[in-house]
Amino acid sequence: MSADSSIKKLLIVDDSKVSRMLIRTHILAQYPEWIISEAICGEEAIALVDNDLPDYCTMDINMPGISGTDAAEKILSKHPSIKIVIFSANIQETHQVRARSLGSILVAKPVTEKSIALTLSHFKESK
Amino acid sequence: MNHLSDLHLDALTEVFSIGAGRAALSLSEIVGDEVRISVPSVQVVNTEEINSATLSLNSGRFGAVNQHFSGPFNAEAVLLFTEDQALKIVSDMMGSQMSLDELAEFEHEAMCELGNIILNACLSAMADVFNFTLESSLPDYAVASADEILHRLKKGANQPYVMVLHIDLTIEKRHTAGNLVFLLSSASLTNLVAHVDQFLGKLS
Amino acid sequence: MNEISAKRFDTEDISNALNLGLIVVDAVGKVLLWNNWVSRHSGIQEADALNQQLENVFPEAVSPAFLTALKNTLAYRLPVVLSTALHRTPLPLYNASGVNQQQTRMYQSISITPIQSHLNESCCLIQVTDSSTSIKREKILRSHSEILKKEATTDSLTDICNRRFFDAHYEIAVADAKRQKHPISIFMVDIDFFKSYNDYYGHIAGDNVIKQVAATLKSQLSRATDIVARYGGEEFVLVMPHLPQKVAEQFAEKLRSAVFNLAIPHIKARPFDQISISVGVCTGIPENDSNLLNKADAALYQAKLKGRNQCISLPLCEAEEYLQQ
Repeated sequence: MSADSSIKKLLIVDDSKVSRMLIRTHILAQYPEWIISEAICGEEAIALVDNDLPDYCTMDINMPGISGTDAAEKILSKHPSIKIVIFSANIQETHQVRARSLGSILVAKPVTEKSIALTLSHFKESK
Repeated sequence: MNHLSDLHLDALTEVFSIGAGRAALSLSEIVGDEVRISVPSVQVVNTEEINSATLSLNSGRFGAVNQHFSGPFNAEAVLLFTEDQALKIVSDMMGSQMSLDELAEFEHEAMCELGNIILNACLSAMADVFNFTLESSLPDYAVASADEILHRLKKGANQPYVMVLHIDLTIEKRHTAGNLVFLLSSASLTNLVAHVDQFLGKLS
Repeated sequence: MNEISAKRFDTEDISNALNLGLIVVDAVGKVLLWNNWVSRHSGIQEADALNQQLENVFPEAVSPAFLTALKNTLAYRLPVVLSTALHRTPLPLYNASGVNQQQTRMYQSISITPIQSHLNESCCLIQVTDSSTSIKREKILRSHSEILKKEATTDSLTDICNRRFFDAHYEIAVADAKRQKHPISIFMVDIDFFKSYNDYYGHIAGDNVIKQVAATLKSQLSRATDIVARYGGEEFVLVMPHLPQKVAEQFAEKLRSAVFNLAIPHIKARPFDQISISVGVCTGIPENDSNLLNKADAALYQAKLKGRNQCISLPLCEAEEYLQQ
């Protein structure tokens, strides 16, 4: 098995440093070899993705600037291969529907082992 | 003196954003429309430093929902909205046709419920993230002037700290801003910080 | 001392004598206490409620908001209040009814508090108070004419509500019905052969007819929740919540006969030679895409086609539950 196929690149998009740290810590605990980058808003995420295409992305919704769901839509329209999980405290029906319509899922914060497990299983799902 | 680093405040903001998300979900189930609540910032200040600017209290009267809670730390939580805004929120939430005089009859109870939803959501988010249990009294509602509110906040000598959450609430296209204020004793603030530290400790 | 005086009463007697509802449920939501007040207003005896899941005790559904609140109290041990203002009637409880009176659902204020049992289980105490007495129904849904300025919302000719008021009221009333899941009825009313009346009797006489019809329609309304507005020219619209379709149909007929009984001569209106109205009514619990107004208008059109001076009723949706009531 080549190393390349198991080493994944993950982009964490969240305006909260603590949230980014939490997601990073949980993921690295299971996949220490993954390469993780961070963005603090939707605009930054869009720019980053163009430069360095990740395999996976977690996306907060409420951030300064454009909403995470809008950012996810933009990213997916250009790079449909990325698997995005909307990871947010905002869990109303409208956002769940929006996430599903993007082929994503909405995972409710807080960042816990359980919510991370849901996120990972969505990443691993074959398209 | 300030016990809290930026990281502490970021952690608390995140916890209360989770609370806000839960409150928004409950409220949206009541009003049948999307509700947006965000917590743009959390501040911890000495009670003496608090002034009308901290709470963005301008003139007029305010509706204040109160809950006392206890557990690993004790606090009095007060949710503040201007009375006009409080009435408009209630009227939007009730979605019925009523004069403002009539609304006043319901204001008390409905504001208690609105405050209860937001406060409980914030407390439950803290309980989940920091892994503790809090007990709480039933909510109370009072209308007071800015001066009366500041006077009351400052009078509590055994609660020298306040944690202020600025809250933005949008229900059915009406935008309102309010504040959630936690009155804390020194011991309670220390305990709260210890819980945040413990939580952040798991990250490193 | 306290202990002795406490033992002079049985707490169960007190709970049963209370003029408020008390229910205790355990950690999984099974009923442990059901006082007399609750039995009386639910029609369900204590014996039938004990050890049952609370939501299964009632023949009707308990509101989702109540169940969410209960779940939250059980999970987080935080007390919850449900206000009348935002929930009206979370539990299927009824006011004691008079003879031959239809039972009405009680307006309630509820608080749910966590308590601990002797066995250290976490339980919830649910307290229900009747708020119907403090709130007069007509006050709750009173038209908002006081909020909007009276002159801006009144039709100058007829002194009933104008189109602008109707548009605002309609939107709010439909949203309210949608949210509370109660039926609402829209009546579209049109004066038959009005153009020929105007042509034959003149515009002043025509205005008088409009005034008389408006006053007659208005005189039929007795609930503060109901409004009649001038929709345009010789057209009127009425909005009435909480009517079963049958009752709405009877009411439409009442409107028609009240106008007919004015016996205003109109020799250009065959075959009755007097002023009459056609009424289209639509009743239903609105959903997202439903348009009661269009349906009522379609009903009015049918009434006109069938020869005028009559009422046609269309349900908003054929399968509405309330039809079976």
